[in-house]
Amino acid sequence: MTPTLLGRWQSRLLLLATVGLLVTLPFSMGWIVLGSYPVFLWVLGYVAVFGIGWDLLYDYLQKFRWDRDWPAAFQLLAGIWEAIFILLLFKTIGLPGIARTTPIGWFALHYSLIWLAVFTMSQTLMRVVFLRSRFRGGQWL
Amino acid sequence: MNPGLLQIRLRWDDPATGERREPILSVPIALGREFAQMPASLREQRVARIMLDSGQVSRFHALIEQDSVGVAIADQNSSNGTFVNGTRQTRSFLTNGDTIQIGPYQISVFLDIQSAATPIGDSTILFHSETDLPVPDATSTPSESTPTAPAARSNFPPPFFQAQQVSMRDLMDTELMVHEFDYAAIGAGLGSFIWVDLLRLCGARLNQVVAIGMEPQPYARYQRLCQNSQIPLHERLRSNSDSCPDNIWGFPSYAFRESWHSFRQGQIGSALKYLWQVFAEPTLAETYTPRSGSVFASIDREAQRIGWQQIFRYGRVLSIRQTNDGRYAIAYSRSTASHREHAFIVSRYLHLATGYPAIQFLPDLQAYREKTGDFKSVVNAYEEHEHVYQKLEQYGGTVLIRGRGIVASRIVQRIYEARKKNPHISLLHLMRSPKPQGNKFGKAQRQVKHHYEFQPFNWPKACWGGEFRAVLESADPQQRSRLLADWGGTTTADRHAWQRIVQEGLNQGWYKIAFGEVERVEQDGQKGTITYIQEKDFKGKTQLEADFIIDATGLDAKVNANPLLEDLVTHYDLPINALGRLSVANDFELVEMRSSGQGRVYAAGAATLGGPHAAVDSFLGLQYAALAAVDSLVSTRAPNLRYLNGLTSLTQWLRWVTNQAPNQP
Repeated sequence: MTPTLLGRWQSRLLLLATVGLLVTLPFSMGWIVLGSYPVFLWVLGYVAVFGIGWDLLYDYLQKFRWDRDWPAAFQLLAGIWEAIFILLLFKTIGLPGIARTTPIGWFALHYSLIWLAVFTMSQTLMRVVFLRSRFRGGQWL
Repeated sequence: MNPGLLQIRLRWDDPATGERREPILSVPIALGREFAQMPASLREQRVARIMLDSGQVSRFHALIEQDSVGVAIADQNSSNGTFVNGTRQTRSFLTNGDTIQIGPYQISVFLDIQSAATPIGDSTILFHSETDLPVPDATSTPSESTPTAPAARSNFPPPFFQAQQVSMRDLMDTELMVHEFDYAAIGAGLGSFIWVDLLRLCGARLNQVVAIGMEPQPYARYQRLCQNSQIPLHERLRSNSDSCPDNIWGFPSYAFRESWHSFRQGQIGSALKYLWQVFAEPTLAETYTPRSGSVFASIDREAQRIGWQQIFRYGRVLSIRQTNDGRYAIAYSRSTASHREHAFIVSRYLHLATGYPAIQFLPDLQAYREKTGDFKSVVNAYEEHEHVYQKLEQYGGTVLIRGRGIVASRIVQRIYEARKKNPHISLLHLMRSPKPQGNKFGKAQRQVKHHYEFQPFNWPKACWGGEFRAVLESADPQQRSRLLADWGGTTTADRHAWQRIVQEGLNQGWYKIAFGEVERVEQDGQKGTITYIQEKDFKGKTQLEADFIIDATGLDAKVNANPLLEDLVTHYDLPINALGRLSVANDFELVEMRSSGQGRVYAAGAATLGGPHAAVDSFLGLQYAALAAVDSLVSTRAPNLRYLNGLTSLTQWLRWVTNQAPNQP
């Protein structure tokens, strides 16, 4: 993969707002466990907002690579790091919308499913629906 | 010029094109990136100023001058340094045969200008105009069958083709066949196929499109060049998993397809391996590349699906002219060995993808062949040269390889395989100079091992769809040649198997790397060939004896090597870019070919290098160019074409998956 900064931002926001939301709804609407859990929507929001910043870092790191590429494996590592970052924040200083008592297990399950869905979509349906995006570093607009 | 001045000869290969430069210059010589920043004179002597276009070269980088002791090069406080024979120097005396490295430029120095003279200027092997096979000895074949300018041929195209525009009436009056189309692809190779495929996806009907070329299979020439350069069907190309000439979406990629295929055959290990490769490449796993046979099979399927056999028309295009109704007339020959036939096609939109017109051949090897008539011992890697391996396997012997790109790697592998049948084979790899460090760009540097420079593909990956694609597209022509010099150069793929072979060969002594500039190659009755290496440091001449010499230096794509393009360029005074290729707009249009009407001409492939895209001769690069050209056609409301938006793209993809024709015929 050879994303550009603009491509990273556009893909991240689009995919989180679509498949990310689709994965989150069953959690937040209480279809999995009875009750309403807006905390999952907050998690989705933080992944998007912090991600805008992380993408700046990834784009900078990419410039040290001769091919200016970003292997899918790095995408996974970045995903793990972003999860740890959010987890540390809400467990230590706390994040609005996410209670410190939120179980790590549920957070991990929800986050992993979002990551998997976003990654899968970026490699499949995204290519089919936005066929020019792969020639433009992930930009679809 | 003052005859008392010392003259020296410099020689380098352009890092973007591989083309050889070899000026004779009077000392002092300034080397740098900006002409105006280099001194015009020094101590009342005129300075020869050589521009080396690269971001790694300082504005005024180094100066070659003569003092009482000899000729010396002095670095001018450059950012990236001046290397002489691989060592960084601030000031160093130069001796005959020394190599200076400045950024991506490797420059050989010859103080004895006579002996270093390159025998002939233009040294290439052309493709036969009828069989499309490489013609090693163009001078000995009858003139009718060698590629020549259209004007030199019989009475076709007719005299009215000398005009700027031809009239439809004149065409009809010839009483030759005239067929009309909306879209005509010239070449009918992979570039044409990919453009036609996209046209069909966007709604073009079968009867609107024609592709004119020599061979019905779009990959025929490509396959032949692969096979000659030792990539048989089961071996892997140097191409990305999602560069699929049969599938514009790159999904499912070749790795997915091969993985699925392995899975269904119960080879779970292989299936997982291919997926792991595309997931972790190139950092944690070796880059996945598809087998050539799988790519050809996928093209066959797509050709069938889009009706290529009805679109393809056998013919050799001789000349293209604007018509007086704003379209283009194509004069082409359908002659075969048994009959002569000429005809015309008139089309509103044209796409030129004629491929590489010639194979580069090292001048000293060309001179050897002309002198001796020996076409068996000295071969080009892109020519059919199976006899070399057969002889080696039978009798053993020594092979000398020239060039250090991907083709050289493949041949090293082939020799390794031959050694299993006959261990009395040794391999001498002659390189012009050591490679102390890889190209640099920004904060990154290309990796070098055993003097091979590594890169997964022929350009940095971001040239296809990443940051570099955007940077190059928005750059001006001057910046473009600089960027291409920085990103280009001869590289090979970092494959474990190849590295193991090289290491094993070096350890066991059957593989040796030698450095030097070739002075000449001569025939030796008993031993085959003798390569004389340029004298260096007065240590005496080196001679390399070999039974066979294989030139693995590459292909050539200058416009003037292709008679059809050359005719078009001179007739319509088309601009040529800094690399000697067609100058195209960002949508790959040859804007100067527009006339009064709606017609448009686009180009793709090797003939457009130096323009908006670097990787023009790759599968994905051709798809990029095709997409740019077809989107541009859609915006000019070309007949029956619709923009591929999210929905139509999804529909077309489903048709691809289910192997249905893209639209109604």
